[in-house]
Amino acid sequence: MEKKLLFSANNITKSFYGTQALKGVDLEVHEGEVVGLVGENGAGKSTLLKIIIGVQPQTSGEMTMHGKPFMPEDPMAANKAGVGMVFQEQSLIVNLSVGQNIFFGHEKDFKHLGFVNWSKVYEESKRVLEEVNCGYINPRTKVIDLNFATRQMVEIAKVVNMTKSGHDNQKCLILLDEPTSVLNEAEVQNLFTEIRKLTAKGHGVVFVSHHLDEVLEISDRIYVYKDGENAGNMDIKDATEEKLYAAMVGRETTTEYYHLAQQRKPDEEIVLETKDMGLSGVFKHCNIKLHKGEILGICGVVGSGKEEICSVVCGDLKPTSGELHVKGRRVNYSSPSQALQDGILMIPMERHAEGIVRSMTVAENIALSNAPLLSERGIVRKKKIDDQANAWIQKLRIKTTGKDAEMMSLSGGNQQKVVFARALASEADIIILNHPTRGVDVGAKEEIYALTREVVAQGKSVILLGDTMDECIGMSNRVIVMKDGLITGEFQADAGEKPSQVSIVTLMM
Amino acid sequence: MEKTNNAAKSVSWKNVLKKNYTILVIVLMVIIFTILQPNFLSAMNLVNLLSDSAPLMLMAAGMTPILILGSIDLSLGSMCSMANVLILSLMKQFNTSIENPFGCFFLALLITLAVGAVAGTVLGLIHVKLKVPSFIASLAFMSVWDSAALLITSFPVKLPKALKASAAWYKISIGPIGLPLILALAVIVIYHFVMTRTAFGRGIFAIGGNERCARIAGIKVDKYKVIVFAMNGFCAALAAMFLMVKATSSAPTVGESFTLMCISAVVAGGTSLVGGAGSLLKSIMGVFIIIIIKNGMNMVGVNVYWQKVVYGIIILLAVAISVDRTSRSRIVK
Repeated sequence: MEKKLLFSANNITKSFYGTQALKGVDLEVHEGEVVGLVGENGAGKSTLLKIIIGVQPQTSGEMTMHGKPFMPEDPMAANKAGVGMVFQEQSLIVNLSVGQNIFFGHEKDFKHLGFVNWSKVYEESKRVLEEVNCGYINPRTKVIDLNFATRQMVEIAKVVNMTKSGHDNQKCLILLDEPTSVLNEAEVQNLFTEIRKLTAKGHGVVFVSHHLDEVLEISDRIYVYKDGENAGNMDIKDATEEKLYAAMVGRETTTEYYHLAQQRKPDEEIVLETKDMGLSGVFKHCNIKLHKGEILGICGVVGSGKEEICSVVCGDLKPTSGELHVKGRRVNYSSPSQALQDGILMIPMERHAEGIVRSMTVAENIALSNAPLLSERGIVRKKKIDDQANAWIQKLRIKTTGKDAEMMSLSGGNQQKVVFARALASEADIIILNHPTRGVDVGAKEEIYALTREVVAQGKSVILLGDTMDECIGMSNRVIVMKDGLITGEFQADAGEKPSQVSIVTLMM
Repeated sequence: MEKTNNAAKSVSWKNVLKKNYTILVIVLMVIIFTILQPNFLSAMNLVNLLSDSAPLMLMAAGMTPILILGSIDLSLGSMCSMANVLILSLMKQFNTSIENPFGCFFLALLITLAVGAVAGTVLGLIHVKLKVPSFIASLAFMSVWDSAALLITSFPVKLPKALKASAAWYKISIGPIGLPLILALAVIVIYHFVMTRTAFGRGIFAIGGNERCARIAGIKVDKYKVIVFAMNGFCAALAAMFLMVKATSSAPTVGESFTLMCISAVVAGGTSLVGGAGSLLKSIMGVFIIIIIKNGMNMVGVNVYWQKVVYGIIILLAVAISVDRTSRSRIVK
């Protein structure tokens, strides 16, 4: 049975500040079809969804909806054309009622003499809910009193209603971004039942999830994205978890890219050790040993607890159980400044939010962590700051007009190099690299890899959360895999014998 | 901050104007007030004006780094009132057992400054440890210090004759510039040096620019913040002493108008309320702008009650010009 094409996106590209998040991806959704969308973090799934819903425009490429060109300027315009999205973070206002939420922003349609006719709102809400087979939800209930699955359905009802905007028979496209992350098993099944009812009415659904079993269960067709490109498009009959994994991880680890020739064997000496460490509600029973001169990679999806382990080790969070030992001494950091005194420093993931101070110059940003080292009798020598900045700008080939340039005049990769320079100048010898190559172009990535190799060659140790799994495996001496706050595996990753990505992904998801 | 190397290459009158607008504003105001009231430029008024600026100068010294942090202290004026009545009542107490007026004065001053620093520390600790925004925490302290001042003495008190000698130094002057102003300027210049040339000072700018980043980079964010608040309390107490000596009396509501004046002065000088940028030297000009407005309006005979309207407008104007409307971050932390 050939179904009618509902939505298509052709060769969509998107670049941010010179880095390409999407390098030309396609997506087609037919009426009554659930399309699964999978890929690693950063593969471009969310970017594409944001383009479809009109949060940001594509750099190039075309989209059609109902066979007509589709270029939404904002989510409202997308809604009018029949496209709606349920965002990863729930967007309902919990202290309002279900009905108030469904017609939030559209109250003027119910105005009479300046007053909102609430009983009419609730009547309409009832109809809207029944349409998605949720007639059992009372529109007068406050959202806060509903469980997450029901809230998700209210959100879907709201989106369906918005996208129809008057045309009762218009078929809509509903985008679901990780809708199951807050749901339990039974609620997921509930949601799936509702999704099937939606598609039975001819609506199209795009389903994004990290849980491959769910994607396999609900989808009719599955797209795999990798590094902003299409890496596969499978019919559900042909798809298996193994095939999806293989398509997601794709390319082989390249020897040169990660400077494998320079990968050295770490010393026996243990510089950092966690003993049954835990952070309540996030991770537990964490036992990690970091050797001198080692690059230790930690793999896991967002929410696996890997970020928080780094936060604890660098002193930003306090563990709630277990012990942290640094250089043979038990420590209990209450702030990163204390960790820095033991030589631990993190290069944070969110560069703009945590990595750089925009109001300061390049030289000042490099000197952030080591101002006391540049002081004589308590007074910071400007010349030392400048000399240091000039030296690092040259050494790391930071492209800038000079040490006094504003941080925002640098490209993402060069900003990241500044953050690197800060860590290296600080004389810290345990460096936590939290997605060091996020939003950095390929050339700069390679330089950052080379630099990392150099750092460990000097006897420093690195904990690496790779931006991609490929990077994590390629750079590390050893890889730890985490899932739902627990360490689920550990692999040696010597230069000649890197573990396969599939074996790691299987433990991650 | 020395960020001018790039800008200097393309010197345009617009840049020059932008960087020196405070001087321009001062010149403009002097011209306007002189036209309206020729006596404005008289030697006596100028001396008066300069000596009048000393207490506000001290308060601005404490407040500027707080605004650079991106924080604010609304309790400044009330703190000042409390310290103002405290020092005089302490002096009177001590006078019963200590004969020497200077002995009484220094002992009382020492205690008052300590109280100021401790009060600032407590405010800073509450802000930092309990994560109460400084705006709220200082609002609460405003009411605490207001009451404390009235509880110490609920009415104005004159400095007793026996102690008058200890206030004589306030009249000393070198040329047209009085000793009080010289002392206040010295405090500002030293603090400016600390802010620009020490790891502590650079840390304050980093915290104001991006607190998360400063923390992750290993800067002692909490400690530095508390120190800045402690310094502010200290400066407020010092200013309170100046006010007492100047008037040779204390009043439990003396500081009331100073919070607004001080914030207006710092902001008019060019320190941004968003945090991360500013300078104590700029605040000197800001203080002169506010003092000239106050003095000029008095000379011209504008109703005193209009003055607060003007200070309010200055704050709004300065913030409206400087705030980055594209960022979603809060202005005051």
